[in-house]
Amino acid sequence: MELLHIIPQFLISGLTFGAIYSLVALGFVTIARASQIINFAQGEFVMLGGMVTFFFIKNVHLPYLLSAFLAIGVVICLGFLLHLLVIYPLRKASLPILLLATLGASLFLSSSSALFFGTLPKALPPFSGKDLLEIGGVSLSAQSLFVLIATFFVLFLLYILSHYTHLGKAMEASSTDPLGADLCGISRHLMTFLAFGVCSGIGALAGIFITPLFYVSYHSGTLIGLKGFISAVIGGWGKYGGAILGGFILGVAESLSIAFIPAGYKDGVAFLILLLILYFRPKGILGSPFMDSRRW
Amino acid sequence: MRKSALSFIFIFIFALSLSLSYSAEKSPYKIGVNFELTGPWAEITKTLRNAMVLEVERINQRGGINGKPLELIFEDNGFEAGRAAANMTKFTKDPEVFLVVGPFEDTLQATTRAIAEREKITNIIVCPSNRVLREMKQRWAFNIAHNDIIVSEKLVDLSLARKYKKILVFHAAHPLAQTLAEYYKRFGEEKGLKVFISPETHKHTDIDMTPQLIKMKPIIEKEKIDAFYACTSGPPGPIVCKNFRALGIKIPILGTHAFGFGFIIALGGEAMEGVEFPGAKPVVFDQLDENDPAKSINIEFDKRWRERYGTPSDQIAGYGHDIIGLIEDSIKRVKGKVTRETFRDALENTKGFKGTHGLYSFGPAEHDGLSKKDLVFVRIEGGKFKRIRFPGFE
Repeated sequence: MELLHIIPQFLISGLTFGAIYSLVALGFVTIARASQIINFAQGEFVMLGGMVTFFFIKNVHLPYLLSAFLAIGVVICLGFLLHLLVIYPLRKASLPILLLATLGASLFLSSSSALFFGTLPKALPPFSGKDLLEIGGVSLSAQSLFVLIATFFVLFLLYILSHYTHLGKAMEASSTDPLGADLCGISRHLMTFLAFGVCSGIGALAGIFITPLFYVSYHSGTLIGLKGFISAVIGGWGKYGGAILGGFILGVAESLSIAFIPAGYKDGVAFLILLLILYFRPKGILGSPFMDSRRW
Repeated sequence: MRKSALSFIFIFIFALSLSLSYSAEKSPYKIGVNFELTGPWAEITKTLRNAMVLEVERINQRGGINGKPLELIFEDNGFEAGRAAANMTKFTKDPEVFLVVGPFEDTLQATTRAIAEREKITNIIVCPSNRVLREMKQRWAFNIAHNDIIVSEKLVDLSLARKYKKILVFHAAHPLAQTLAEYYKRFGEEKGLKVFISPETHKHTDIDMTPQLIKMKPIIEKEKIDAFYACTSGPPGPIVCKNFRALGIKIPILGTHAFGFGFIIALGGEAMEGVEFPGAKPVVFDQLDENDPAKSINIEFDKRWRERYGTPSDQIAGYGHDIIGLIEDSIKRVKGKVTRETFRDALENTKGFKGTHGLYSFGPAEHDGLSKKDLVFVRIEGGKFKRIRFPGFE
């Protein structure tokens, strides 16, 4: 009885986390769709989104909205730089090498952030003044709703990009059929370059939306990046819908699991779900465009 | 000719040995400092380092102690137990280093304490000891900050003064938070409080405690809990408060003395309003009693700190000030040569040293310097720390 009473609250908390994981997962998927690269610096973009916004508000004394837009701009530039300095010079290397390179870039970004912005955690104020909503005995912070809205807004934009624009289609073609893309005169390097811009922008947006819920510190990108990656794999590596689905499944499962087991095992639940998915349906719930479905 | 050359060499050697012995006379007191200068606590330890440097420069400008200057040798342990141990070992190998200050954090101290015990060198640790370490009765380790016993006693006083009957404790999963919770339960129940320790804990790295708090919500409603004790330190403190208020629970929140760090309020924002905790004196030094010696020491130190660094001093800077003060005080009391052994004995015999945090007294059975009298009740109000008083409980 008592358990039934608190389950709705767990669901709400899980949905909030689901939205966060989805938002991060969308960044992973964007890069994967354009170049098949797994960009482990995605979590760092999320961290930098919050960090740079905080910097503009507190140190430059700009208004919230302007700081947020500037931060997105700065992080997108960093995304472009990451491509120019790390990915492009390694264009002839194999995927595992690129993966390690992004991992190195992620360490570099988090350590530099510690040097520039300091190591103490930082918080942003919530977007709306009155933050607490109460619906039928279940409390919900308005900020969680904003995160939810942001997730679906980004999904919508990405859907438009990949289905209704030449640019989006060219990006996708350069990963799914490199030879075909080359023959059509699509510059694959340019497409990857642009994809890094898009994914760092999504990351920064995620960071700005979730920092008011928690806080941001130089090492907070790692875990959130990892969870976003897991979400993308669970849902189906390379599918926008899969990223969203995976994110929500992970968020809700983690949150609900705590109703039954001690909270210390929460992170374990994420990896357990990942293992189960990899055992029984390696291409993810919605299937992955990068995996030969005949093999599985 | 040859004779004069020979005598010249002799004179030269004699002069050299004289100058060597003279410089040995003037060679500094070397202190090893083993801090988390990088990693999550980097900014906190930077404050601590700045405070120690400020104090050492002041002492050296006055001509040092017994005519010899102090010298700090900094090593960074990067918040890793392995590097903390390596630094500690390195310092013990330098015969001129007679004392090691650091690490800062609770989780690193066990390692360096063990090395200090083996190598027979004094180790001053900033964070408080916990029950397990204290019961080992190590001879060479000393702790500066208020320990779990006195903080728990003071918090029980606060609960009694506020007439709370039932308190729910939500503690972090590290040894210090655990013993803080246990002592609070023990002392509280002796005084007739009903203390529930939640089976749910949280980790230092958790960024959201909502699920754990949701599980506690029915207990709070069923048992009619009067107050909630967030037994934790660092960023989890404000996170717990934020998540707690986001669930719409309105009961008062109690905190530990680690809530006195300035960044806590910035991080928690409005959720921190009304949080009460047993705080260190530097947190509210301008509101201390006029006859409290800590007040004038803090005012004087704060002035010098502002002149040098441009920001107000805080609890952490106060620890740095007190560490150097304690070292100076002990060296002055050493009779004869300052060695690792004589310094330890002098430090252990410190009685009533006046620092920014209050009065430090050590003894063979007491390696935590401060006592319950060195804590005051603090409430967060309007984004500031405010001292609160309860007649009969000061």
